[in-house]
Amino acid sequence: MEEGKNVKEQKVGRLEEWRRGLKALRADTVNKLKKALPELEKEVKRPTNFVDFYSYAFRYCLTEEKQKSIDIESICELLDLVLGSQFREQVDFFVEYLKTQNDYKVINNDQWMGFYRFCNEISFPDFSNYDPELAWPLILDNFVEWMLAKQS
Amino acid sequence: MSGQKKKNFQIEAFKHRVMVDPKYAEKTWKILEHAIQEIYNHNASGLSFEELYRNAYNMVLHKFGEKLYSGLVTTMTSHLSDISKSIEAAQGELFLEELNRKWLDHNKALQMIRDILMYMDRTFIPSTNKTPVHELGLNLWRDVVIHSSKTQIRLQDTLLELVHRERNGEVINRGLMRSIIKMLMDLGSSVYQDDFEQHFLEVSANFYGLESQQYIESCDCGDYLKKAERRLNEETERVSHYLDARSLEKITNVVEKEMIENHMHRLVHMENSGLVNMLVNDKYDDLGRKYNLFRRVANGGLLIVRDVMTSYIRDTGKQLVTDPERLKDPVDFVQRLLDLKDKYDKIISLAFNNDKTFQNALNSSFEYFINLNARSPEFISLFVDDKLRKGLKGVSEEDVEVVLDKVMMLFRYLQEKDVFEKYYKQHLAKRLLAGKTVSDDAERSLIVKLKTECGYQFTSKLEGMFTDMKTSQDTMQGFHESLGAELGDSPSLTVQVLTTGSWPTQPSATCNLPAEILGVCEKFRSYYLGTHTGRRLSWQTNMGTADLKAIFGKGQKHELNVSTYQMCVLMLFNNADRLSYKEIEQATEIPASDLKRCLQSLACARVKSVLRKEPIGRDIAEDDAFSVNDKFSSKLYKVRISTVAAQRESEPENQETRQRVEEDRKPQIEAAIVRIMKSRRVLDHNNIVAEVIKQLQSRFLPNPVVIKKRIESLIEREFLERDKNDRKLYRYLA
Repeated sequence: MEEGKNVKEQKVGRLEEWRRGLKALRADTVNKLKKALPELEKEVKRPTNFVDFYSYAFRYCLTEEKQKSIDIESICELLDLVLGSQFREQVDFFVEYLKTQNDYKVINNDQWMGFYRFCNEISFPDFSNYDPELAWPLILDNFVEWMLAKQS
Repeated sequence: MSGQKKKNFQIEAFKHRVMVDPKYAEKTWKILEHAIQEIYNHNASGLSFEELYRNAYNMVLHKFGEKLYSGLVTTMTSHLSDISKSIEAAQGELFLEELNRKWLDHNKALQMIRDILMYMDRTFIPSTNKTPVHELGLNLWRDVVIHSSKTQIRLQDTLLELVHRERNGEVINRGLMRSIIKMLMDLGSSVYQDDFEQHFLEVSANFYGLESQQYIESCDCGDYLKKAERRLNEETERVSHYLDARSLEKITNVVEKEMIENHMHRLVHMENSGLVNMLVNDKYDDLGRKYNLFRRVANGGLLIVRDVMTSYIRDTGKQLVTDPERLKDPVDFVQRLLDLKDKYDKIISLAFNNDKTFQNALNSSFEYFINLNARSPEFISLFVDDKLRKGLKGVSEEDVEVVLDKVMMLFRYLQEKDVFEKYYKQHLAKRLLAGKTVSDDAERSLIVKLKTECGYQFTSKLEGMFTDMKTSQDTMQGFHESLGAELGDSPSLTVQVLTTGSWPTQPSATCNLPAEILGVCEKFRSYYLGTHTGRRLSWQTNMGTADLKAIFGKGQKHELNVSTYQMCVLMLFNNADRLSYKEIEQATEIPASDLKRCLQSLACARVKSVLRKEPIGRDIAEDDAFSVNDKFSSKLYKVRISTVAAQRESEPENQETRQRVEEDRKPQIEAAIVRIMKSRRVLDHNNIVAEVIKQLQSRFLPNPVVIKKRIESLIEREFLERDKNDRKLYRYLA
């Protein structure tokens, strides 16, 4: 998590500015992020630190003090932004799932990180190596079930 | 021994001098040879034992042992050849008798010869490793007589023929058989086996193979088994009478294989007479016979019986618990389960020797199908309620215990014991508050049994309920003592104070109590709060009852026992002749569904109702009008109208209870997860799930998906985290 921290420390001034501004204009979170992303991307020097960046992107959207989750709509946009270029198909289908399901209204950090791991490890779209009896977040179990039902 | 004797030989046994006559050996031998002949000719009485012994002794002594021995062999062989011929010549039935007689003669002769030649037997023979006399005699008999080409086969055939005849019901000469068989055994176990037993077993296998085929085509299962049992007994008897004891196991194995093992499936599944038929009709004798016979078959004889029984019980049970007709009457439902258990307990005890594996199969079957019906816990509680309310009235203490123990037995099969607890609490509450329990001792006895089975936690709240009842009695006494005079004309009030948490939770509902009783209620409230500071009281209007004195139109006087809600409704009619549903609702503020049910019981009963409704009909609409039924009548002065007894829940109520149970389970699952993680610190997903199930299975079977959800919730609340390197692991966060 070092790289992310460094970025934070270096750009604390600008981020604090953004934070304050964002608090006042909560609806603009994603738009602001859209603007900020290219900047942040530059800050991350090594490409293998993507996972840190990915994690940071989530935390960045937590506007309130004790907030731990992000609403579905924002998550959809965020996924598209952050993972869209790498995992186009997974993101598209997962976004569709999130929009149609009713079980979850927000996504937490554990689920956010789980999805990245999911994209990297699980073969798509057959999910042949996915085992719902392992420790995958339940929302991904449901997503896979939904996908398989659609495919049959 | 002979070596020793030779060394120590110093003393001459006989006083006269022995001369070494070259013809001595021959002469002496001739004497002995003659003697042997006489013995075989039944002329032994004329012989002098002492003289013959001395002669034999001398021959050995003077180193003519070899001559003596070989002479013996020759002589005996020649005599036996003669005997053999005479046996061969015997006709038909006489063959065996002749053989037997000659054998007995030979034994006698052999005995005498051995006695005469004892010195040689003890000295010369061991030192030269020759066969001792007696054994020699037997071997010669075997080789010359028994194994003569004609006799060997004939003997075998004759013996087997006799056995066959006896099996077909004829009476044979068992004494003769025994003697001949004993002869074979004496000749050596290999003779018995090769010459007789082996063939005996072969022939028996064929015999029983054929017979079993015949029987199985023509008999039903019960009869077949009787026949098989009889044949086994016969063979056992046969062995004890005239065969070698070691043949017993071998021949019974043959019968078991041919008659039972080869036809196991057919016997068990035989239509109209197989195992299922026997079970259904409680045929204890047949079942016992089947059990004993099949038990003999080592390769899973009992297994097939047990499997067929198990799947039949499972099917019967499954049908019972899923039959929609049965589900209408919970008490009957449970009684049928108990009857089913009783039936099979009896079968296992009377016919299956209390076999533990059968008991286990019965238990696992019950566990299987009782849990197929999600309402089993509720129904078992209703059964108990019925028994404790009236069913056990007048029953002796021991019989009460028997019934309660049977209930506990069913309880143990339940997977969802927490659901039972919920219903039991509800039903118990109703019994206690209505004062409707047949026996306090029976109630307490059952609580003790539950405590023994499930631990203190399960029953602590239930015991709390009993305590509250007792405390309330004391409170009421104190209330009347201190405010006795003040109360005067007010309606008499009995209050039970229930500790929240011990009693089933009820959502609080609105209800406007009639003015007539508000006064005394308030007096109680202030009295109680005066003696117990820091507590809050709220009237549970959905649980109370009232006794109302009513005078109807024609002057009929009755005392009506009603629920609190019904009281609120009826009291309104003291001030109005006619009221619409809407007006009643507004005045009482009782929740709609409860109010409708309450009015239905007052106005829509099949026997004369207290109220009349216009328009007539069960459904209640906003504008329906109610009035007192002036024509109300009843044979009894006191009339019961309240419906506070425990009843089978309606579908929507059932759903609600289910939901509450699921909600209650969530914290229990979380507590288990935290307990486990606190002690293990790091654990992988599958192991957590397994441990949680293990910890909670005495109360209910947690769903792995629910467990996963709880874990995620705990992660979100930062009780746990995923391991950073291995995502399969969870870590406890202190």
